[in-house]
Amino acid sequence: MKIKFAFLIFALLIFTACGSTDNSTEYSKEFFAMDTYVKFTAYGENAEDALELAEKRFVEIEAMWSVTDESSDIYAVNHANGNSVTVSEQTADLIAYSLQTANETKTFEPTIYPILTAWGFTTGENRVPSAEEIKEFLHNVGSERVTVVGNSVRLEQDVQLDLGAVGKGAAGDEVIQILRENGITSALLDIGGNIQLIGQKNGADWRLGIRSPFGEGTIGVLEISDAAVVTSGNYERFFTDENGISYGHIIDPSTGYPADSGLASATIVASEGKRADALSTAVFVMGLENAAEFWREKRDFEMILILQNGEIYLTEGLKERFTLNLAYDRGVHVIEYEN
Amino acid sequence: MKIKVLYLIAGIIFVAGIAGCILALSAPKTGVVRISQNGMVVREIDISKAEDQFIEMEFEGRKNLIEIKNGEIRVSHADCSDKVCVNMGRLRSGIPIVCLPNRLVIEFAENDFDAVVN
Repeated sequence: MKIKFAFLIFALLIFTACGSTDNSTEYSKEFFAMDTYVKFTAYGENAEDALELAEKRFVEIEAMWSVTDESSDIYAVNHANGNSVTVSEQTADLIAYSLQTANETKTFEPTIYPILTAWGFTTGENRVPSAEEIKEFLHNVGSERVTVVGNSVRLEQDVQLDLGAVGKGAAGDEVIQILRENGITSALLDIGGNIQLIGQKNGADWRLGIRSPFGEGTIGVLEISDAAVVTSGNYERFFTDENGISYGHIIDPSTGYPADSGLASATIVASEGKRADALSTAVFVMGLENAAEFWREKRDFEMILILQNGEIYLTEGLKERFTLNLAYDRGVHVIEYEN
Repeated sequence: MKIKVLYLIAGIIFVAGIAGCILALSAPKTGVVRISQNGMVVREIDISKAEDQFIEMEFEGRKNLIEIKNGEIRVSHADCSDKVCVNMGRLRSGIPIVCLPNRLVIEFAENDFDAVVN
């Protein structure tokens, strides 16, 4: 009798087994901010309230770091004519982080804004600036022209700061912190294609598609949890001149011209959003060889590089986490710890 | 007698459970289907909304004819020897229809990811 009873219980369990993979309620919030489409998804009882707080915080941060909003910290810093400006602690921290990353990578540059403007990437009126013009603007580019002391920031005359290449990631980090403080243990932030994750989804890794730089689809899937994943590529924003030459929006700060490193896209996986965001730009400018060397030296992130010829290079730490799309049959190479 | 009824109920629940699981796990979340050839996405089409139609695909002179009918998609004709793609019938689950010689893949676009990094 006991055995029969057990069989009945087992049958009942099977009946409910697949329905119960969704262990808690899913909530999401969608809105536009930082010039992009944002979607936060969180699971659990407190998710709805936590997302409310998260959105509010994200909008506050946007107001603080906007280049164009006249009441922002960054606007104040950029229009101080060489004087010191007191900013919020978060702004001072992020500027200091940007300077440190610029120094560390030599390819990430938070003072590149005047060059971006010369190329029309900030206004939408794209043009190819003359060599003289670029040379002149390059003169005002360089993170050594920015000083941060406590919450006080000073730029040299004609230098401009833009946190665009790190701001979304850093804002994501703030949101992650708020969600965690509110007891959220499973969430996905999609900030214009920058993905930041808390925990797992229903006890398994999240499945993230990696966009193909050559078309609409994906090149494969990355299975990962508790991480930030950010891609940079010139396929997102570029223009073509009358001779058919394409110019991408990621500028090499050493030349003032769009980066021409042989990469079509660079995807970074790191524990923090600001790291993943900043390094995706830095690594894109570096190109394969320098990026591999940088990775071996740092080891605090992983990456997937797609070359312009379609070949994929991924770092050893992602080998077991990345699955190539069936339809994508170009070569995949692993960048190993030991060269 | 009571025990037999108990067995029967347990058996029915068991079979229904298994069937339910198969249905739940195989059903795609959206009707958006991605057609790619040689690694490039050729087309993304919502077959639940699309009109009935044929799409002809060519690779190195060889052809596949894709049929969309009543919100379903299948390869109706292929000029290769094995006809695996034709024999796979309609696209129903996360398993794509693949024509290897012609490098053709037909799959549901969005049911596979939680998000896309770009």
